[in-house]
Amino acid sequence: MATFNFRTLQLANKRKTIFLLISLGLLSWLVAVAALSYFGGGGAAIVPLAVAFSLFSVWVSYYSSDKLVMRMTGARIIQESDNPKLFGLIQEVTIASGLPMPKVAIVEDDAPNAFATGRNIDRAVIAFTTGLLDVMDRDQLQGVIAHEMAHVANRDTLVSAVAATSAGAIAIVSDMLMRMMWFGGGRRDRDSNANPLTLIISLVVLILAPLAALLLKSAISRKRESLADATAVAFTRNPSGLRSALEVLAQDNTVVKQRSNAVAHIWIESPLDGKSVSQMFASHPPIQQRIETLQKMEGTSLN
Amino acid sequence: MTELLIALAVLAFLAIFVVGQYNKLIKLNVAVDESFAQIEVQLKRRADLIPNLVETVKGYATHENATFEKVVQARAAATTASTVPDVAAADGMLTQALRGLLAVAENYPDLKASANFLSLQEELATTENKVGFARQFYNDNVRALNTAVATIPSNLFAGLAKVASREFYEVDDPQDRKAPKVTF
Repeated sequence: MATFNFRTLQLANKRKTIFLLISLGLLSWLVAVAALSYFGGGGAAIVPLAVAFSLFSVWVSYYSSDKLVMRMTGARIIQESDNPKLFGLIQEVTIASGLPMPKVAIVEDDAPNAFATGRNIDRAVIAFTTGLLDVMDRDQLQGVIAHEMAHVANRDTLVSAVAATSAGAIAIVSDMLMRMMWFGGGRRDRDSNANPLTLIISLVVLILAPLAALLLKSAISRKRESLADATAVAFTRNPSGLRSALEVLAQDNTVVKQRSNAVAHIWIESPLDGKSVSQMFASHPPIQQRIETLQKMEGTSLN
Repeated sequence: MTELLIALAVLAFLAIFVVGQYNKLIKLNVAVDESFAQIEVQLKRRADLIPNLVETVKGYATHENATFEKVVQARAAATTASTVPDVAAADGMLTQALRGLLAVAENYPDLKASANFLSLQEELATTENKVGFARQFYNDNVRALNTAVATIPSNLFAGLAKVASREFYEVDDPQDRKAPKVTF
């Protein structure tokens, strides 16, 4: 059995996501413990508060993700009569995947790109820029659609909401505790029995945790992209379509006119390419690497 | 008392397990039925496109009666087939006949340029792909069902659920075994 089979790739990426989500959970727990040991009772109140706040802000946006993302990207829902060819292609992928027909949207933008959103499979929206529809041929477009439908099938809106919630809560806890420390707060019973080493470790954890959470969140996003590529091949059994679509995206250096960086991670090709500090913070794997993986899949049996 | 509780817990666990296995098999079986229905829907849609296509091509290519005849016959066979191998065979024949028809169209530049023909061609391309994907989805579902029917522990419940392994949808044309891809 070849390694570059979409089934093994799907499994590997799912496993890695679970591992990363568990790490994020452990990190949250570590932050809570550190907060308690450093600030005692005062810290204890902040943890549930931060979690509640993060939960609220992230889940409101998750719940209305379809409308919110549509507004932030300027996407407009279209009907079958507006573009029968595109709808035909999407219907092909829904038949291949067994998913219900999503809503379809268009973003007026010359940069070729696409995204999927919506809080669940029945409320999915997939959107394409006019630039993408202009440059892609049938097979390439089918690959892009399959990638977006793969995000829907893998419930990536939910996965990224979970990741964003924990990363958000960690950032809030760390931020609030740092402020408290700044203003001379801190543990009132400090002189009783606190071990100075524990205090230092707690402090380091609190300082580094938001950064670590951000790294984990980015890593999860990258794994979901690789997973979506593998799932897309599971749908179409045609790695070359998506591969050549990614090649078109890689060669094209126009960038979607972003209205907000907050939605950068949802596009098939990151609009922030080259802007991110390093590969470790990128929301997408390098496009060249994605192309190579798909090329290797082309070389192996598709069943 | 403790023994009774343990016995009850074991029984409850067993019941949940049996129900789970039974439901899994039934669901897999229903998925196979549904996906076969999807193949039929798409084949029907393709059959519905054919009279229109033949008429359009006839308007330009008047001396190709043999090709038209083949398409019409294959369509008739496809619309009457019902068992999995019969449907698959008729489907393969019709695909071949359509390929012949579109090859004929290549010789008539006026036809190829007509808007009506172009939109029919696109519709046929997408329907052909849909048929291919419906087949693939059906075969994936059959694979899942057949694996469950043949492996422990679900195989022990296949009799109870009255579920047996099902036939794959095999198309004779070797070109069709590959990824659905239409380049007319």
